This record gives sequence, structure tokens and C-alpha cells, in this order.
Amino acid sequence: MKSSLVAQAVILAAFALLPAAGEAIYFRDKISWRSAIAPSEMVTVEQAREWGNTAIWVDARPDDDFANDHVPGAISLNEDRWNELLPQFLAAWTPGKKTVVYCSSLSCNASREVAHRLRKDAQLSDVFVLEGGWEAWLKKKNR
Amino acid sequence: MAQEKEQMKETSNAQRPTPNVERSEHPTSGVERSALNVGRFLWRILDFVVAGIFIYAGVLKAIDPVQFASDIDNYKLLPWPVSVAIAFYLPWLEIFCALGLVFRFLYRGALSILSASIVVFTLATIAAKARGLDITCGCFGHASQHWSFPAHLATNLGILAGLLALLFKATRRNRLQNSV
Repeated sequence: MKSSLVAQAVILAAFALLPAAGEAIYFRDKISWRSAIAPSEMVTVEQAREWGNTAIWVDARPDDDFANDHVPGAISLNEDRWNELLPQFLAAWTPGKKTVVYCSSLSCNASREVAHRLRKDAQLSDVFVLEGGWEAWLKKKNR
Repeated sequence: MAQEKEQMKETSNAQRPTPNVERSEHPTSGVERSALNVGRFLWRILDFVVAGIFIYAGVLKAIDPVQFASDIDNYKLLPWPVSVAIAFYLPWLEIFCALGLVFRFLYRGALSILSASIVVFTLATIAAKARGLDITCGCFGHASQHWSFPAHLATNLGILAGLLALLFKATRRNRLQNSV
């Protein structure tokens, strides 16, 4: 193969696109392009509201934001004061309850991290991340 | 007699090395020829070793792109959709380039892509360390999860050295072929 180095690299790069596209289609339900959370671990405002009292809301935003305003009944649990706040959350949690974690917006990571730690450190199941976070809640709270 | 002379003349011309081609490429003695064969064999072994590493790394990542996307995201350098795209694409690029080394197909292109990717991964690992991020590089899936930073760096630099040696050799051979 006597083609130039750049041409060779371009051909290889193009070849790799095909299986990559196939894999992206195959894994479409297991990974979200919009957020690092798997679709099965996310919940919309409407779905979470339907759960009513069977859900416990967790505010993963910083303390100041929580003090400003939060979802009614939500418990503050952020990574800055994890060790201090976790016992308070566990006291309010009862087995069988679903946990809905939210942070500021679609692009924030705090809810994802807190949800991950609740599953890993506190060994909880049924932990969901609110799609769109606090911003989505504000938009839909009066509807 | 005249015919014999002509034959001898032809033989000596054939044995005379071409000015632009190195002597080692046209060995005259058996010793030189066997030394050249051993050299070629060793270079080929290096091809297979490097290709094996990238096929292993590529397959591990290709079977779990969700984990790999998360590993890329941990570097906090790229937006999530870009991490996902890389998680789907990069393992296959590595596998195709590694196969290029095995079958000597698009060989120099494969070497350059693999060298560039290992440089980028090494720089990203150094940048993550400098920012105090305690992360898994994701280079070899879960196998590399508990590697220390020096182990990551040493592995990457070792692979890069092999790749650059192969690239240097291939470029030199290509120049020689073009000059003949």
C-alpha cells in the first residue's frame, strides 16, 4: 500500500465509523446522549409526581440553594456535607420508598453523583435522578 | 571464452549494490542474510505485541461502552455527548489499526493513529493527575482500574516507544522504496 500516511489514516478512521455506528444503535437504550445517567435511572417531573408519598425527594444542590427554595418535603443531601447529612436522610427514608435526586439543571452532575453514592455507599435501590433538575421542576410545578 | 567473460561481467554488476539502496537490504553473505531475517522477525514480533495490546484494550472497551464513556467523562475534559461518541468510536479505531499492524494493511496510517491516541491519553492522564482527579484511565477496561499513576504512565510510554520505533522503521523503508 503506497498511499500517503494521511490517506491511510483517513481510510482507517472511516472504516471504524461503521461498527461504531452499529454499536451506538445496539446500545441506544443503555446509554443516554444527553446525560451520563442511563435512561432507566432517570425520572421525569410528571412520573415522580405520580409516585406521591411513595417517593422521597433529595436536593443535591449546595446548602444556599436549598435554603433559598426547594421541592416541598425534599431533604438536603449534598457531597460537601455528605457525612453530616446522610444520617438525616436515612432517618426519613423507609424501605420500599423511591428516592428522587435533583440538582440545578440538566447539565449539573451533583444529582448523578449523589444518586451513585446512595446506591453504592448506602446500598439503596430505586434511586432515580430527576430529568432537568430544579429548573424542570420550576417549569412544571404549576401545571 | 568471450561468452564466459560476458557472464562474469553480468554477475559482478548484479552483485554491485544499487547506490540508493542500503547494503543491509541486499545482503550478499549468508550471515548477513540470516541477521537480516532475525531483524525482520523481531520487528514483526513487536508488530504483534503492540497490535495484541490494542486489540485487547479495544475489545474490552467495545464490549462495555457505557463504562468507557463514564471513564472518559471522569477526566472532566469533554462534554458528555462527546464522551459517548468517543466511547463508541475509539475502541473500533484501535481494533482496526491493530489489525492493520497484523496484516500490514494501511500500516503507517495505523501506526500514526495509535501513536497519536496514546499521546492524547497520556496527556489527559497527566492533566487529570495535575488537577487532583483520582480516576481510572479506562485504557484497559476494569483491568486498569487499580493501576497507580506511575504504572499508567510507564505502560503508555512503553507502548509509545514501540509504536514510534515501528513508525520510524516503516517511514525509512518507505523512503528507500520510493528512492529506488
